[in-house]
Amino acid sequence: MLEMSMTEATPPAGVEGGKYVYCIVRSDRQREFGSIGIGGGQRVFTVAFQDLAAVVSDTPIVIYDPTRENVLAHEFVNETVMKEFTVIPMSFGTVFRSEDDVTELLRSTYQAFSDVLEKMQDKIEFGLKVLWDRDKVVATLERENDEIRRLKDEISRHTTTSTYFARMQLGRLIDSAMEELSSRYVSDIHEALKPVAVASRSNKPIGDRMILNAAFLVDRAQEQAFDDRVKETSRKYEDVLAFKYSGPWPPYNFVNIKLKLEKAD
Amino acid sequence: MGLLSNLLFFPVTGPVAGIKWSLGKVQKVVEEELTDDTAIKQDLMELQMQLELGDIDDDEYARRESEIMGRLRDVRAWRERLGKATSGGPVRVARDTDEE
Repeated sequence: MLEMSMTEATPPAGVEGGKYVYCIVRSDRQREFGSIGIGGGQRVFTVAFQDLAAVVSDTPIVIYDPTRENVLAHEFVNETVMKEFTVIPMSFGTVFRSEDDVTELLRSTYQAFSDVLEKMQDKIEFGLKVLWDRDKVVATLERENDEIRRLKDEISRHTTTSTYFARMQLGRLIDSAMEELSSRYVSDIHEALKPVAVASRSNKPIGDRMILNAAFLVDRAQEQAFDDRVKETSRKYEDVLAFKYSGPWPPYNFVNIKLKLEKAD
Repeated sequence: MGLLSNLLFFPVTGPVAGIKWSLGKVQKVVEEELTDDTAIKQDLMELQMQLELGDIDDDEYARRESEIMGRLRDVRAWRERLGKATSGGPVRVARDTDEE
């Protein structure tokens, strides 16, 4: 959505003076958010340019590993800021060499940030992961799908001429029945949530039990309605599907700010 | 034309061209394996999922996370060595005016 040209700096290891940037907000006065920053409770504050502000904390110029501890610290700051502001989240690990560089980022991309903030005004993100129990699904299919049940019976009674072939066929039948079932669940869930969301995005499922890994952009005014609808839908499928619902998040999946790195020469 | 001339002049250029090609190819495959962090990030996400689902405990998580962080650092080191862009880490704003 927005590309900015950045120059990669060779880090003089351990030098202080850097700024870790969490997000961009609209604010025309200095703000403090407490000692909650990455790297052991650094003070979180704003660096402003006109009515835009970057939420930052002091950091040495280092590369942060995406450990759970670091990622949670990054997210916690954004969650805190979100309680009061519409935020444009920065990706994890974004470190600037100085406060001046942060101001320069805000100055040179002022219009783009303003436009995105306008679009994201009062929008929040929810994550929804849906998992199923493969063994249970297979068992259900073997019980309820006529074709699968018949073939399975034939195999166990040795009435087919080639058991090997029949097993192959059974495997294929089960695979395609599962795929069909999974996409039916996924589209049902999307249909149920569409009326209460502004937009949605499907990410690649993680692991082999997940059938849906989606993010929904929701208007703050619709938060309760979205919440109710998720709970209602999860109850409808509680025997077969497990819903993992999280948020509100800053719109990570709907604002794509790429800080394009260029080698300094 | 390329393939045909290689075949025609096989004793002279064939093996040489072949060796060059395979070295180039091996180099590329090695580079890709050393510098691609997609699979590592996928592993990290799966690990986090397992922790959230209660499949593994905090100790197990910490142990496997530090192994994954090691792999990520290796990839980053290779990317830097081979002059490829790295994600995360320090950025410096490219200014319109030179002032440094």
